[in-house]
This record gives sequence, C-alpha cells and structure tokens, in this order.
Amino acid sequence: MQRGNIVEKLHTSDEAQRAAIERARAALGGIILGKNEQITLSLACLLARGHLLIEDLPGLGKTMLAQSLARVLGLSFQRIQFTSDLLPADIIGVSVFRQNSGEFEFQPGPIFAQLILADEVNRATPKAQSALLESMEEQQVSVDGTTRALPEPFFVVATQNPGDQIGTFPLPESQLDRFLMRIQMGYPNEDSERELLAGDDRRLMLKDTKAVASTEMLLALQQSVAAVHVSDALIDYIQALVRHTRESADIEIGLSPRGAQALVAASKAFAFVEDHSGAYPDDVQAVFTAISGHRLKPAGGTRFRSPAELCQHVLDSVAIP
Amino acid sequence: MMTRPRGTDGSLLSSLPWTMTALAVSIVPHLPYLPIWISIALFGCMIWRYAIEKRRRSLPSAWFRALLALACFLGVLQTYSTVSGVGPGSALLAIMAALKLLETRKRRDQFVLLFISIFLVMSALLREQYLWSLPYLVVSIIVIMTAWLRMSAAHYETARQSFLTGGRLLLYAAPLAVAMWIFFPRIAVPFWAVPMDTGTATTGISDSMSPGDVSKLSRSDAVAFRVKFDGPTPAARDRYWRGLVLTVFNGRTWSMNDPYEGARVHEIVSGQGDPIKYQITLEATRQPYVFALDMPWSWTLERTFMGPQQQLVNARPIDQRVAYEAVSYTTFSTDANLGDYARSWYQRLPDASNPRTRRLAQEMRNAAKSDKAYIESVLRKFNTEEYFYTLEPPPLGNNSVDRFLFDTRRGFCEHYASAFAVMMRAADIPARIVLGYQGGEINSMAGHLIVRQSDAHAWNEIWLEEHGWYRVDPTAAVAPGRIDLGASDAAFQGVGEAWGLSAPSQILHRLSMTIDALDAKWNDWVLGYGPDKQDEFMQRLGMHDPNWQKMMLTMIGLILGLIGLISLLLALRYRPPAKDPAAILFKRFVRKTGLEPGIGETAESFSRRAMQTGTLPADTVRSVTTAYHDARYGPADESAIARLKRAVGTIG
Repeated sequence: MQRGNIVEKLHTSDEAQRAAIERARAALGGIILGKNEQITLSLACLLARGHLLIEDLPGLGKTMLAQSLARVLGLSFQRIQFTSDLLPADIIGVSVFRQNSGEFEFQPGPIFAQLILADEVNRATPKAQSALLESMEEQQVSVDGTTRALPEPFFVVATQNPGDQIGTFPLPESQLDRFLMRIQMGYPNEDSERELLAGDDRRLMLKDTKAVASTEMLLALQQSVAAVHVSDALIDYIQALVRHTRESADIEIGLSPRGAQALVAASKAFAFVEDHSGAYPDDVQAVFTAISGHRLKPAGGTRFRSPAELCQHVLDSVAIP
Repeated sequence: MMTRPRGTDGSLLSSLPWTMTALAVSIVPHLPYLPIWISIALFGCMIWRYAIEKRRRSLPSAWFRALLALACFLGVLQTYSTVSGVGPGSALLAIMAALKLLETRKRRDQFVLLFISIFLVMSALLREQYLWSLPYLVVSIIVIMTAWLRMSAAHYETARQSFLTGGRLLLYAAPLAVAMWIFFPRIAVPFWAVPMDTGTATTGISDSMSPGDVSKLSRSDAVAFRVKFDGPTPAARDRYWRGLVLTVFNGRTWSMNDPYEGARVHEIVSGQGDPIKYQITLEATRQPYVFALDMPWSWTLERTFMGPQQQLVNARPIDQRVAYEAVSYTTFSTDANLGDYARSWYQRLPDASNPRTRRLAQEMRNAAKSDKAYIESVLRKFNTEEYFYTLEPPPLGNNSVDRFLFDTRRGFCEHYASAFAVMMRAADIPARIVLGYQGGEINSMAGHLIVRQSDAHAWNEIWLEEHGWYRVDPTAAVAPGRIDLGASDAAFQGVGEAWGLSAPSQILHRLSMTIDALDAKWNDWVLGYGPDKQDEFMQRLGMHDPNWQKMMLTMIGLILGLIGLISLLLALRYRPPAKDPAAILFKRFVRKTGLEPGIGETAESFSRRAMQTGTLPADTVRSVTTAYHDARYGPADESAIARLKRAVGTIG
C-alpha cells in the first residue's frame, strides 16, 4: 500500500485538506489530460462516498482514471475484468479446506481492496453483477454464513462500454441507482491529444506518481464534505429541479427521493472540491447530469438525443429561487 | 386580398372535441325552442369539422362559407320573421357557432366559439330560470372552463387536471357572484326589458271558453300558483279560486266584457265567518287576471282592481311570477240589487241557438214551483240521468249545448257549466260562468297548496232575488269526487282512473312533492329576491334605512375585500418562497447591470456575463457575487450580508 509522505499531523486542518485536494487535482490532471471536469466529478464522487460508473468507448482513459484515483489517493487497488464466465466467487472469494489444519480457510477475492475497478461490468452475467452491486451497497460480503467487512474507505469504479450490445447484460435501472454518478470520458481536445501523443507513457507516469493523501486524510475529507453547508435556498432549488423532472412531459420517470439525496450529497462534495463557502447552485448544476443522467427515464419519442441533453434542458427550464 | 391557408394539420384534434362539448352543453336548454334545422346544422357542422381535422382535409372555401352564412341568416328570418328577441337571437348565435366551426383554424377561433357558448348559456336564462338552471349553469360553465384550459394545457396535463382547475376558478368566483347578487340594488322598474317571444303559448286559462278549452288544460300539470295559508287549509270543496267571469254567449263560446274598475268590493260583498288569510305565488300567465279564493276581500298586489263581476284584474299582463297576500271569505253574499238592464244582460241568449235546450228549460221551469226548485231539478237531471264526466268529451257542433245535453251526454266541467248557464238564462234566471281553479294539492312537505293547470275549473253563478249572486257548481252534481277531493287528489286516489288519468305511484308522487317544495323555495328566495326582499334582508343584516347607495358601497367594499382575500390565497399558492435579504440585494444588482438573467442561470454565470459587457467594474461584480454566495448559500454569517450590502451600495 502506497502512503503519502505529507505531514500527517496536519491532515485534519483546513489548510491541509485544501492542499491535499489541490495536489490530487494537479496530479490527476497531469496524467489524464484535458479532462478536468471528469477529474473533479470523480473526486467529488469518492469524497461523497459514492460509487462511480464510467461509460464510454474503449481507449478513452476509463481504466487510467480509475488507476490514477487509487494511486493518487493512496488506496489499495484491485481490477476485476468482468467476463461472461465470471462467477460471484471470483469476486468475493472462496473458503478452501486446509488439510493440515483441518479447517476451512477463507481466500479473499479481489473485492477486498479500497478501490475496485470493475472493468466492463456489463459483460458479466447478472448473477456476477449483483454480487458486486450487493457488496457495494452493504459495504460487506457474506461467505458461508460469515459476514466480512470490506475495507474502509471502499469505492467501486465500474466501466461500461455502451457500444457493445451483443452478449452483454446492461445494468438495469435499479442497479444503476447504486452508482452515485455516471460520467462519460469523451474524446480529448486537440491540444490534450497532442500532448498525450508527444509525452511520456502514461503507465510509467502513473508508477512514478506518489500518493498525495493518506487513508486518514481521505476519511477526514469525507467528513468535511458531509459538513458542507446547505442553505434553505439551495434545498428550494434542488426541490424545484426534482419536481420538474417528475412533472415534465419529456421525462417518464423523474428523480426519486434517493436521487434527490444523491444530488445533495454530490453537490456538497463538488462545493468542497471547488472550495465554496457552501453548496451553490453552480455545484448543483455541475453534478446534475452525472447524478441524473442514469436515473431519469426519458419519455418515449423524446426530442433529446442523449441524457446529457435532457439534463441540460431541465437545468435551463428551472429558475433558481 | 390575401388568401389564408385552409388546410388542417390535426393540431386541434385534442382540444376541438372539448370546444364542441362546451358548445353542445350550451345549446341544450335551447333545443326545445330552436327550429329543428338549426340543431341539425349545428351538430352536422361539428361532425363535419371533426372529420376534416381527423383526415387533415381542407376547410370549405370563404365563398362557400359566406353563401352558407347568408342562407342561414335568411333561414332564421324566414322562421321567425324578425332577428331580435330571445328566440331569433339564440337561433342566430347557434347557427353562427356552427358556421364558425367551419373556419376554426387556430386557438383564437376556438376562443370565439367558447365566447359564443357562454352567450348561449346566458341567453337561455332570459327565457326562464328554473330550479335546474343553477346546477346546469355550474356544470356548463365548468365544461366551458375546462375546454378553455384544454386549449392552453400542456400535452401531459390530463383532462381531469383541467377540470379541477376550472372548478377551482369557479369556486374563487362564487363568493364574488353571491356578494353581487345579494347587494346589487334591486329596483322595482327594470332598466331594460327583454323582448319576449310573442305568440308563444303559455298554458293557462284564456279569456273565452269553448267546449274543450278547459279539458285541454286538464292534461297539463304545470303549476298555476302556489298558496300558503296563514291558518288551516280550507276543505277542498271550499277552494274555489276565482278568476275571470264570462257573461256573453254566442251559441258555442262564452266570452267576457273587458272589465273596468267596478264598485268597491266592500260595498257589494259582505263576508261571513272567519276571514282566511293566505299568500299566493302566481306563475306568469301573460294575461291580466289575478286569482284568489272566492270571494276575495282584500289583496296586496299593486295595480289590481276588482271588476264589476268581482273578478280581479291587473292593469298589466302578469309577465313574470308575482307574489301577493290576500284575504277571502268562503261564505259571503253579494249585492242583492241588480238593475233591470244588468238583469237582462245576464239573461241574454243568441236567438237561433240551441233550440232544444231552450224548449226543455221552458218545460222544466213551468213544471217547477219556484226558481230554486227549477235549479234543483236541473241539477237533479245532471245527477240522475245518464251524464258522464270525462276528460275526453266528443266534439260538439255549433249548437254545442243541444248536442251535449241530448246526444253526447259526455263532458267536462265547461260543458256542464255552459249547459247549466244556458238552461238558467232560458228560464230568465240571470246566470254567468266563472273560470278559475278548484281544489289544489297539498304539499305537506312544504306546507303549501299547489294549484295546477289541471285544476282549472268552470262553474256558475246565478242571481236570485233577495240573495244576490249565488255559486252553483253543476259538475259537483255529476262528479262529486272532483269537487270534494280536487282534480289531482282525485286522480291520485284512484278516482282519476275512471277519467282516463293514470295514477302515479307513491314514490314518484313523493319525489314530485319534494321537487315542488324545492321549486317553491327557489322561486321564493332566489327568483323572488326583489326590492322588498332585499330591503328586508338588508335590515336583517343590520343596515339602517337601506338605500341603493348604501348597498352599492357595501357591495363594492365586499368585492374589493373578497378580491383581496382571493388574491392573497392565490399569492400564497403561487408565489415563490419568501425572498431573503440576500436575494433582494442581488436582484437590485441584477437590475443595475441592465442584463436579463436567463432561466436557470446561476449567479456565477450571470456575473461572468456581466463582466463581459463591462457596464460595471469587474471587481465590483466579483465582490457582489462572492458576498451573495456567502450570504445566501454559506453558513449563517451576518458579515456576508453586510459585505453584500456594501458591494451593491457602491454601484451608483
């Protein structure tokens, strides 16, 4: 486990937390070029104790983002490649009978790590998927009647390739709800791509990257996020947005109360990353697409080509109280 | 001339049925009065217009529509031979609505149609305001409101939501309407008069009587008037409701002289026994006759006098329902003096008419010892010989009394009264016919007596020396049940079956009594809310010496108060949550930038835009935005508000 070399005594002070955030952003921005929005969102997602779903075509840096997050935040990392023959035991682990001791011994699966990259999660069968999703929800796994706690903090970054349709099991809406955010990577812009092509191998850079925060620091950051101020005015705004998603003709299924809670939590985390005095409407708007994109079900025959477009339309239709 | 597009694109498909429903509902009360071709045209145009929209066809051309409009106008003119008045007016409205449908292309046209619907609903009230008018009004206005809301509704809004909104709007308006209705000063003489359709027949007694006139009435159960007695209700056999008196006979028809104001009632009539006091609510008759219990002594209806034959006449036709109090004596005697001329007038018969009756009268008079004995013998003849009381008497020729007495022997009260009067006059006994009502049905639920058109009755009065005018009812000799029970009670208690009346079942009867009681209350409290009632009500509310200025001021005050209250309710319902000081300050800043913030635009992005335009210094914008964020969205901090105030204050 990689540990940062910062002064740990100071990790709970505001300055130390701020410095950690800024360093993390800088480190991540150095590896993943031109994706500041996605970096900030995924940082906010982890700080809000949420799981992240990255959905995009291969080769756009999904895995790189997950690995960088683990490395920069000093988290133990496991990658599970989801395939159609993946079994729940391959994720959780199995009890093996030891001849010399005459007892069953539990062999932990890859899920016992602080940050799990569930790669191409839609390739596995629903059975394997639900093994992962259940442990995400419960923060623990049960094997042979024994409940085992997962490490703290525990994050799942799942990736999904929307282009693949044959032989895949796309996550159903109810399961999508377990991910706090869903983001898309998108192509890098010209300059970033040029830098990427001309620069060093990203994997080598990743190896050289030092952790900027300890586990304690991360837990302290999560606590600070929970303490971010949410004013009545902001609640009004979030309620107005939620109400609109429920009443709009363009949306068949609007945000649930859990979705609204997710919106509040993510807005707080984003505000914290952005160093705002409280959660601002700007923070709500910044996380809205990532929060709502996979939770809203557009009405049939809608004029919006993508969930992002629909979410932007909602933001453009609701006045800020 | 610009030609407008005639094609349809199906965009009205969702709201058009509602507009048509509103139109259909508003036409319902007119249907019985409209010529059939107008109703057919209206519903035909609805179906046609809907089919056009459904199949995306083109609307008919302007030329065709103009021709159609002209044809319809001429049609209305042909039917009514005028275009003013309630009948032709509503006919024109209905047909124009039908034609408007054929050029309805946009929402604006539908608005026009809904306006026409409202006009149609209101114009139905000009005809008559029944008990069911109120529920009908409520339903039709809600339907029209729903149609209205359907036009502007978002497509996801259900019809139920629109309907509820319409109902809620009506609920907001209801207190205003009630306040105006109560307080708007009523005046005795209305400012305007609605031109009524002349020539529309009202069922009721007319001023002449031919055989079959009254029996025709007996089929109508329309209410003639309702009576509320102060004391106990007199027995049915005493309930003769005096109307008009017929004196002239032409061999077939009895008619009257135009009554003039005769001698004062108290000089010729003297009542015996206890006076009976009661209130009558008389339905409109379009005739000047006023009905009262025989014999009326005093009455409160204005411009009403007693004619020379003790008939009550109003100076004007009774065009609307009137209520009056009256006092009568059921036992009375009238002036015993009758001049020679008057006596001969009441003995006059046309020369060549009904010869057989006259011969018979002469024979019977000669056989009798006195006038009284003669009368007895005539009544006995009706009673003992084969005479039948029937609602469907056979037709009689010119010498109607001869035909009736000797051939058909079947008749209704007017046949007996007529025959009896002729028999009397033929024997030189002065006689006349009184037309009015007899009996009436007691509605124990409402505690009043209903007198219907079917209670119409004709009886006789004969003049006897030393006694004066004396009431004789020959019908009582033939069908005593008719007099003892009254027409409706007789019909109800099974006696009526013999007369061809069907006996209604108990439940229906009770239901009709309930409706009658409600109807009477409605007439009394709602339609009868005139100057007197208003005055009384105002005094009960505590207004001293009510006059129209006071009522008007109260009404205006009340309306303003109600509008204030409703506005407050609406404001509480629709206003965004109370603004905090930070929001107010930021709004001031927004105004000063001169920029219009977009929907969903955050303070941050607005500030960025404001900085780009450069109307305000960038650092001011910056500090305002930061302070606003801290004050509005940060943890409670007084200094943030102060900073914001300062920052906004620095702007000119």
